[in-house]
Amino acid sequence: MLRQDCSNLLSAEFPAAIHNYRRPQKIDKKFVGESVLATGSFDASAGIWRRWEEGGGKGKPAAEIDFTGGLAGGDAEAEEEEDEEWRFAVILDGHDSEIKSLAFSPTSPLLGTCSRDKSVWIWEELEDDNFETVAVLQDHEGDVKCVAWHPGEELLASASYDDNVRLWREDVDDWACCALLTGHKGTVWWVEFEGADRIGMLGTSDEVSEEQKAVLELREKAGPRLLSCSDDHTIRVWRRIPKERREMPTGQGSLPSIWKNNNFEEQWIEEARLPQVHERPVYALNWSKKTGRVASTGSDGKIVVYEERWKSGATDKKEPNGDVTMEDGTPTTVAVTEPIPTSAKDGSGTLTEWVAVAEVENAHDVFEVNHVCWATRADKGKRFDDEEVLISTGDDGEVKVWTFDT
Amino acid sequence: MSAILSADDLNDFINPGIACIKPVETLPQQQPPEENANPYEVTTEDKVKAENAPPAQISLTDCLACSGCVTSAEAVLVSLQSHSEVLDTLDRHAELRLPVQDCVRAANGMDGIDEDGRIFVASVSPQSRASLAATYNVSEQQAGHMIAQLLSGPYGLRSGGTHGSGFTWVVDTNVMREACLVAAAEEVQQALNAPTEGQKKLILTSACPGWICYAEKTHPHILPHLSKLKSPQALTGTLLKSILAKKFGVPPEKVWHMAVMPCFDKKLEASRGELTSHSWHGREGEDAIRDTDCVITARELLMLAESRNISFPCLPRKPLAKHFRPPFPDPTVNAFLFGRRRHIKGTQGSASSIGTSGGYLHHVLKTQQSLHPGSTISIHRGRNADVADYSVIDSSGKTIFKAARYYGFRNIQNLVRRLKPAKASRMPGANHRRPARKPGSGAGEGDYAYVEVMACPGGCTNGGGQIKVGDVGTLRQTGVENGSWEQEVLPAQREWLGWVDEAYFSASSEDEDVDDGDADGDVDMDVLNCPGVKGEGRSDDVVDGIDRSYIHGILEHWSSITGVELEKLIYTTFRAVESDVGKESVGGNEMERVSALAVAQGGGW
Repeated sequence: MLRQDCSNLLSAEFPAAIHNYRRPQKIDKKFVGESVLATGSFDASAGIWRRWEEGGGKGKPAAEIDFTGGLAGGDAEAEEEEDEEWRFAVILDGHDSEIKSLAFSPTSPLLGTCSRDKSVWIWEELEDDNFETVAVLQDHEGDVKCVAWHPGEELLASASYDDNVRLWREDVDDWACCALLTGHKGTVWWVEFEGADRIGMLGTSDEVSEEQKAVLELREKAGPRLLSCSDDHTIRVWRRIPKERREMPTGQGSLPSIWKNNNFEEQWIEEARLPQVHERPVYALNWSKKTGRVASTGSDGKIVVYEERWKSGATDKKEPNGDVTMEDGTPTTVAVTEPIPTSAKDGSGTLTEWVAVAEVENAHDVFEVNHVCWATRADKGKRFDDEEVLISTGDDGEVKVWTFDT
Repeated sequence: MSAILSADDLNDFINPGIACIKPVETLPQQQPPEENANPYEVTTEDKVKAENAPPAQISLTDCLACSGCVTSAEAVLVSLQSHSEVLDTLDRHAELRLPVQDCVRAANGMDGIDEDGRIFVASVSPQSRASLAATYNVSEQQAGHMIAQLLSGPYGLRSGGTHGSGFTWVVDTNVMREACLVAAAEEVQQALNAPTEGQKKLILTSACPGWICYAEKTHPHILPHLSKLKSPQALTGTLLKSILAKKFGVPPEKVWHMAVMPCFDKKLEASRGELTSHSWHGREGEDAIRDTDCVITARELLMLAESRNISFPCLPRKPLAKHFRPPFPDPTVNAFLFGRRRHIKGTQGSASSIGTSGGYLHHVLKTQQSLHPGSTISIHRGRNADVADYSVIDSSGKTIFKAARYYGFRNIQNLVRRLKPAKASRMPGANHRRPARKPGSGAGEGDYAYVEVMACPGGCTNGGGQIKVGDVGTLRQTGVENGSWEQEVLPAQREWLGWVDEAYFSASSEDEDVDDGDADGDVDMDVLNCPGVKGEGRSDDVVDGIDRSYIHGILEHWSSITGVELEKLIYTTFRAVESDVGKESVGGNEMERVSALAVAQGGGW
């Protein structure tokens, strides 16, 4: 069974559980006094597991960790230490085919699941292991690959085989799609929101100019941005255009119907694209809540780390220091030169740029890398507080841990 | 919801859909190289003959990528029932001219009639009328008259087509609905008194085909709970065909029944193998004839008119002249079907408790209440407007009957999940003392005696075949001079639904209106004088405006004149549908079999 902290791990590879075809796929964990784990499976059901956290820090933030190692078979140890292990609580049926992703909402007792059956389901956790279906959303035209919750609002993003990202929100008594993000030219494999604590903050904490301040304020107002990655090898950043107060038409009793929907719908634009380092579909990414760095990975076997910076004359060259010798370690610094598709008169995108600061090729030998995420480092080799390592999983059946040197 | 429906008799099989990642590749036959073949010449289609495509092989790994596969069964079924099908049928078969006075015919058939002739009958649902009423800003009753004018009147279908055929009778499904309500209340009482394996205590309504197809395919464990009653559409079909066939001595296939319904799923219901003449006609050797041959939606009704260049809003809003509707061959049934609906004034519940799907739950509650004088009905709304709990509480405060309403797929999920039998999980770490699923916990779903389940949020007025607010603007302008319609700002769909609901509920208060006569100014005297019509206050077995003993009388009468037991007429069955994807096909090429079925005429399914 994989453990959350890395105390037993060195920064080296170790064989993980063999995954069989019915393995639970994505797991999302949040901390609520007792930990709750949701697992989604290819048998179209989701499971809810609980575990008491002994002396777990009270203020521990919710850490999302994705496991692909299977819960294969019973563990002799597990049955003895029942209190420390995960207890199966309830099964959630309903989807027609394989569940591809699920996520707990950080702000409410909601769980979002999505499946190859093109639908996104929203469940609400009531007392006593009771999960009720709140909404079944069927706007997507293809397999839905991933769901992610906004860190501060009840807003759900979903990514699909139909090349679109949809955002969903509650409208009176039902959930509906409030925004459709088009632009990707292939399946969108992953979506993720920015961490709530560092909306638009950039790596360096130097003095900011007036213009830069304006950019930061604008971002703060718009809220956390959204990242998506796709079959088309690109990773795109999306930003909401917050609504100004609209002038009510004068002299009429009721609003024309077209305005009624506008209070519900949202407008999001593509703010930027990350430098295109991947040469094949990008399957997953992770936006660190601590550092704001983005890690991405995909079919080409690369793991790439990006940072957002203020544009300046000098380009910093950072040498990453992984545990596997790399073929080619020179990072690329690519300013966003492509025109922003929709007019960004506020200029929020043009003062910053995304830079690829580290890259590892063939991270899992010749195999595709399916997932990557940041995690707080906790082993003895920890160099400083809040250091983060990268965990990746690949088709070779292995889970690897990478350190990142700034 | 219809995307996941299936039909009996038809195996679901999967055709590579347009979005499939593995297109059916057809390699051209290897042509022997021609003499003097020019290698630069482009090969044209006629030179290359495609082989017979073998069945596409799609492995699980391929399928993980795309989910573009579509079962073709539903698509084929639904497309066979359309307004063009109606027009084709009217053109293919002459309308059998029926003698107006003489109800009895020789069993050998009618003299000198067209072998291919048909008796055309239609039934119209109140939700479709409400949708049309809201669209054209007329009353629900006027919409009903306009529909009758279209289907039966001189300015409607009869004005065109090969034979000038129209529908002889246009029936309101509300009539049979009352019979369904009474029978439903009885079914509930029977189950309460003596629940069996065949009919458990909790009864779920079965009138919604979307719900039924979903349940049959995905949740077979709830099938024992379904009400055995046919839906108003099915019951109307059975009644019309059985009586007409008997009275005119013609086989059931000579009667062609079209229904106007608010949704597409009703087309699938019409195709059910259980709803055919085999269940009541008894002659096993014959082909099964469907009780309802064709279902069209409210929207398609307008397309029907358009196809014949008839402007629906311009049709007369008065009832049909008498001679366009001969009396039904049995006077009692005639009065039942076409008599002035003398609703004995009962206590009307609020619109939300009746719902727009026939009011099954409401009637069952009222019946229970009438069995326990002094009791009250309390309502407890659930998490959204489509879920509510109802309890009948007697005068001492004890809850004697619990029921609920669950509309909409998301709410149905919660209902079926709780009804699922507990299964011990074999997951590692599962606590083996406790069942993994939580059956009957929380709100006590196990205590319900009756649940009205409908697939569409908001009930049948929100069905998939109703007219959407987006179309209303254009529809109002069709065939009408500019400016004769007031320019009204149309609301969003949600508010529009409220207008349709208003039209739906306004119907019951209209019944008290004086019959202002038909287009000729005549009032139908035959109906009033016919035996069997109960006057006001005749019976004291009235629940919520419906005279139960009258209904019982009609049902008995129906059974006696057709010679069929009542159970065979009004009850049906359901069965679990199992996917045979991946299993050996039972003899023969699947593709051929379905194609053969697809081209077979009327009742081939």
